[in-house]
Amino acid sequence: MTKKILYIALSALVFMACANEDSTLDMKGMFSPNGETVQVRFAQSMAYNDTVGEIHLDMHADDYVIYVCTDSHITRKSHKLLDYFIDQYNAASTPKLALHLGDHIDGQKNYPCVDSILNLANDHLFNALGNHDIYFKQWPIYRSYFHTSAYWFDTNNGNKKLDLFICLDSAEGSLGVDQTNWLKKLLEAKSQEGYRRIIVFTHTHLWKLDGSQGHTSNMALEETYELTSLLAQYNVEFVWCGHQHARQSVIFKGVNYLVLDSSKDSEEGQAYITVEMGENCFYHYHNYPKL
Amino acid sequence: MRNTILLFALLCPLWLMAANPGFGDRRYSVTFLGEYSYNKTWGHHGNFDLQALMPINQHFEMEAKFQFSTANVYTGAVQLRPKFQLPVGELFVETDIMYRAVVRNQLGDMTAALGVGYRMDYVSVTLGVFSRILDDYQRSWHSNENYVVEPFNLLYRLEVFCRPQNNPWNLSFMFSNVDDYQMERMWQPLFSIGAWYDINEHWRLNFAAQCKPTGMFHLDATFYGATGRVGFTYKF
Repeated sequence: MTKKILYIALSALVFMACANEDSTLDMKGMFSPNGETVQVRFAQSMAYNDTVGEIHLDMHADDYVIYVCTDSHITRKSHKLLDYFIDQYNAASTPKLALHLGDHIDGQKNYPCVDSILNLANDHLFNALGNHDIYFKQWPIYRSYFHTSAYWFDTNNGNKKLDLFICLDSAEGSLGVDQTNWLKKLLEAKSQEGYRRIIVFTHTHLWKLDGSQGHTSNMALEETYELTSLLAQYNVEFVWCGHQHARQSVIFKGVNYLVLDSSKDSEEGQAYITVEMGENCFYHYHNYPKL
Repeated sequence: MRNTILLFALLCPLWLMAANPGFGDRRYSVTFLGEYSYNKTWGHHGNFDLQALMPINQHFEMEAKFQFSTANVYTGAVQLRPKFQLPVGELFVETDIMYRAVVRNQLGDMTAALGVGYRMDYVSVTLGVFSRILDDYQRSWHSNENYVVEPFNLLYRLEVFCRPQNNPWNLSFMFSNVDDYQMERMWQPLFSIGAWYDINEHWRLNFAAQCKPTGMFHLDATFYGATGRVGFTYKF
């Protein structure tokens, strides 16, 4: 009898974790391929990129500010920090753009909500894909709102090239063969074009430096070796990541790997960053107030 | 005199341990293995493995392992394994230093592990910790920007055997984040199947296959790589 009760309770827990639209974890997705793989997502992203063409942002100045947040994990009931981030971004009067490094939502049916919030941004906002964004087979929904998970854009001041930004799809802990080849070719070509700096942003962090990582996994070691060497070879200056919900900074082979705090309502002491882009580059953490 | 006492103090525990017989009957041996391997980063590649087992006495064994990969990666590992026989099974301490020269990426990956294990006829369990230093070959001794330290990682290995250890053939299933030539982060498990067949008193045939997924435990899981391994062991 006791065994039966335990079995039913365990089954109920697993079922709730898998089926409840407000649950945060897709247990199936954590342990087996769930929906489209990175190869498919990358191919679909490239097809979309081809339809819209290259993105060149004219900042009308050499200096501008980037607002970066990550891991907002919003639900329809809980999105105060992301609202605050967008308010701060909109309030800035300097030339600017914003990045969200993934895990926009928790659970399911929350894309309309996050889209309505991000649409309030009155300037450029770019998104990276996080693992939570595709749990419960939600890649098609993410795609319908944000269209692509791997792309690049650059900033200019008139005819003067400024900075190159590359967004990578790392939601599976691997870039996959095609995306890695694309990144190599892109860096090889673009590193000759005289950009002031090259910045890569993605969701999954590359290092496991301390216990703050908790139960969030990284990329495989082989991919860590390859990616860090590739980024160093083409003088990438920054890699901005999220995923572990705790800030971290490490420099390896001249590349500055910056992991951001989360922007999740239920977590304390979280922050977004602003990055002053100019001849020099400075970043600042901004703790969210209690809302 | 002081040196003599120190030497005696160091050697005495070894001698006491050597006085008791250990679990199993492992002999000096050399193993040669050929591997076919694929992963999404290095693509298709082959490896050649060379391993030497040196059971110093019933309570200490040492293993040296080398791997040469066509992916331009070279790995060397040394394990010192004190072991203690229990009424059922055997308790052992796993100390392991591994260096992976990732020449293709101009970096070195050094790991040092310490674990405790318990082995019986049908199951072997190891739990421990390891640290990693990733070091750029273009090292500047005046900068800390060319190496990364990952100070704490959990090491785990659970291996289940179909037959007792001293059987002339065996089949095993392993769930672990480490193997002979890699120590993955704790959330990056490896799934392996192993088998051996003793052809005669000296020669053993070995088979193994391994699957390496990525993104398990809080990313979106997917296949990353696989390895097949076959080779011979010569027991002296």
